[in-house]
Amino acid sequence: MAKTRRKKNEGMKVGILGGGRWGQALARLAMAAGNQPFIAYRDVKPPQILPSTDNPPEVAEQCDLLLVATSASETRRAIQLAKPGPSNRVVLAGRGLEPATGKWLGLVVEEECDAVRIGALAGPAPIDEILNGGLCAGVVASPFQEVRQLVITALHSSRYRVYESHDLTGVQLAGAFVPVLATALGLASGLRGSGVGMRAMVLARGLEEAGRLSRALGGDSSTLAGLAGVGDLVAVHGQAGSPYFEAGLKLAKGRREDGPLPIARALVTRARAAGVELPISEALVGIYDGMDPLTAVGELMGRASQMEHR
Amino acid sequence: MTDSGLFDPKPRAVVIADLVDRSRRRLETLDDKSLVPLLEDALYHERKRVSDQGHEIVEEVLLDELARALVRGDRYSRIESALHLVKHWADEVHGHFDPRMYRFSTHLLPRALNGLLAGRPHRVRDIRGGWQRRLKVEGDVAWIRELAKEATLVLAPTHVSNLDSPLIGLALHQSGLPPFVYGAGLNLFKNPVMGFFMSRLGAYTVDRTKRAALYKDVLKDYSVRSLTTRHHSLFFPGGTRSRSGEIERHVKKGLLGTGITAWQEMLAAGRKDSEVYVVPLTLSFQLTLEANTLAGDHLAEAGKQRYIITDDEFAQPREVLAFGRRVLDLEASCIAHFGEPVDCLGMPVARDAAERAEQSRHRRQYVCDRDGNVQLDAQRDRVYTDRLADALVEAYPRGSWVMETHLAAWAAWQCLAKQVGTDDPFRIIRVPRLGRIVRDEDFRATLGAALDRLKALEQQGACHLALPADIDRILATALDRFSRYHRSRALAREGRDLIVEDPKLALYYRNRLTWADLGGES
Repeated sequence: MAKTRRKKNEGMKVGILGGGRWGQALARLAMAAGNQPFIAYRDVKPPQILPSTDNPPEVAEQCDLLLVATSASETRRAIQLAKPGPSNRVVLAGRGLEPATGKWLGLVVEEECDAVRIGALAGPAPIDEILNGGLCAGVVASPFQEVRQLVITALHSSRYRVYESHDLTGVQLAGAFVPVLATALGLASGLRGSGVGMRAMVLARGLEEAGRLSRALGGDSSTLAGLAGVGDLVAVHGQAGSPYFEAGLKLAKGRREDGPLPIARALVTRARAAGVELPISEALVGIYDGMDPLTAVGELMGRASQMEHR
Repeated sequence: MTDSGLFDPKPRAVVIADLVDRSRRRLETLDDKSLVPLLEDALYHERKRVSDQGHEIVEEVLLDELARALVRGDRYSRIESALHLVKHWADEVHGHFDPRMYRFSTHLLPRALNGLLAGRPHRVRDIRGGWQRRLKVEGDVAWIRELAKEATLVLAPTHVSNLDSPLIGLALHQSGLPPFVYGAGLNLFKNPVMGFFMSRLGAYTVDRTKRAALYKDVLKDYSVRSLTTRHHSLFFPGGTRSRSGEIERHVKKGLLGTGITAWQEMLAAGRKDSEVYVVPLTLSFQLTLEANTLAGDHLAEAGKQRYIITDDEFAQPREVLAFGRRVLDLEASCIAHFGEPVDCLGMPVARDAAERAEQSRHRRQYVCDRDGNVQLDAQRDRVYTDRLADALVEAYPRGSWVMETHLAAWAAWQCLAKQVGTDDPFRIIRVPRLGRIVRDEDFRATLGAALDRLKALEQQGACHLALPADIDRILATALDRFSRYHRSRALAREGRDLIVEDPKLALYYRNRLTWADLGGES
């Protein structure tokens, strides 16, 4: 017990790549857990209270654990700048897939640096609440037990609970699927004549197709029912005010702007290669590509009946 | 420095004492909740084994001692009685490598094997050097020779036949590589002549009927000890001969993982020659001696496959001689392809020596803390070994050579599957003879399409083709090979068309191309 306390008092140095609001929120969580965050930022310096540098390799050099808190499209660049080495443990706190290439972010890290001890952190991340001291939880997945343990030491506290998982594929997939399903939920809410029945159907069937893909790719479909899937989708992104949900609402009105199209397209491509059907995601891609939303819904509803779980 | 620690053998007692000591250290770190189940597992499996197979008196005494210690003894007596068993096993496992015997046999063995394989030599030249044309060695052997001087190598071959070991020995000799120690099944040592030579040529004994975790740990310790004493080692990561004919898609990680343990032991000891490199070796044969038995076993009802087969064609000297005479005597009837070496984490090894030295410095950070001290972590090492296993599974097809028998069997099976309207192998093998006739045109079209795809794969470096350019010659060679040894042919002429005479054999040889994803299941 004394040993644990001493370790807590000394704290560990937690590297964070990305000085945006999510990076700052992770830094606050690290501080709440008795550790010292060290942020690598690019453009805007974080508040003085959070130690930071504009020299990313310095963070990789000083910290064993690096939390990557950039958007998925910026992850490659962040890794190229920080140059993590074999001794670093890199944990991705972004959205699973690189939109431009459709590659797992874990693979992007391996392509860009020598780190192989990789993990992913996912779960509901209501940034404002976290910054204001709200309670929350996340899940860290990695095949390496030491990586999971480092993240627990770095972030687990009375404010933020960290759960462990072996399912790196499932957690990365959940991270990628949540924006797509949140947009589909927004779309379902915004369409003329839709109601709770349609939203419930999109939610349940969306999670089912995500689970199907997860199983096909070697992941565990139950991960989708946890913090990284249902937790993130239902509590945070499937609500009015979330950028993805709002993108879905706009889509229902025929405004095809922003939205998670590249990720949805990447998921559909992956699913086709694995021989898995993703009807909702495919319909969403079709709508972004110009299909009328009501026609897309009509086609989905016109499909033959099937077993609920395949 | 010699290329291999085999030429500097330690006294038998020293080796056995070291193995016992390693087990002692491991057992002493266990608490009673882990120790007792481990010893109970050893007692259960050994009692079952000796009741099935008979036993020596000494085993009975040792097992009784362990049973008494488990029932009435204290922690000390339990560990000591387990160590007596470990000592008995260690004595059985340890080989008797004899440098004089090795030198003698490396002069004699190739000629003797060549005589066996040539069957009816017509000229003296056939015996003296003919094996070089029969067994083709491919890959960058010079590079591997260079690595053998500065590091310890683990050779990880695919496993097709019981003839693999002598042929690999021949390939190593032909390539000027040092000898490798390897684990050979206890059943192969039962033959006193084979046993005498094998143990003196670097083979150690593995009894696959011993299932106890305690025994498997002794084997792993032996492997770690061999590697740390610069014994290049050979493991068959597939564990056993491929029953289906496929190139290994999954490998066992037990012995493979000893590479990383040995590397860390040498790092911790500050050794300069601490690196352990793993060399994939893909073996490609036109025909397989035991194909009938293996194919039959593959199709045996689920759960009834035998892990150890002792009554196959290899156990019949006449069959081996006939196979040597009719198949191995042919030009390039088998090809051993050395792949690109990887490290214990499955990462590529640089060709340039300076770059390799830099890699070594860099690599230690995967297992050391910031002060350079080795941090032991068995769970982390298991994940690293998973990566190594993935690297091997990816490397095997790249080193494979597609031969006429593989491609013809693939095309014939695909035609048959199309005719029957299913990919289910059990339905296809039950089709009556008349239903197994394949139209020549269909066969050629299917084979041609597969050949185009394979050529594209070869261009991408995904495999090699040991095939003539035109379909006629591919078919003619395949039909000739299929008629040479097996009692029933996988494929034969039936008038103008072709017939799949033995669908099990056709499936076995077509499965060699499963990795290429040419279409069709089974």
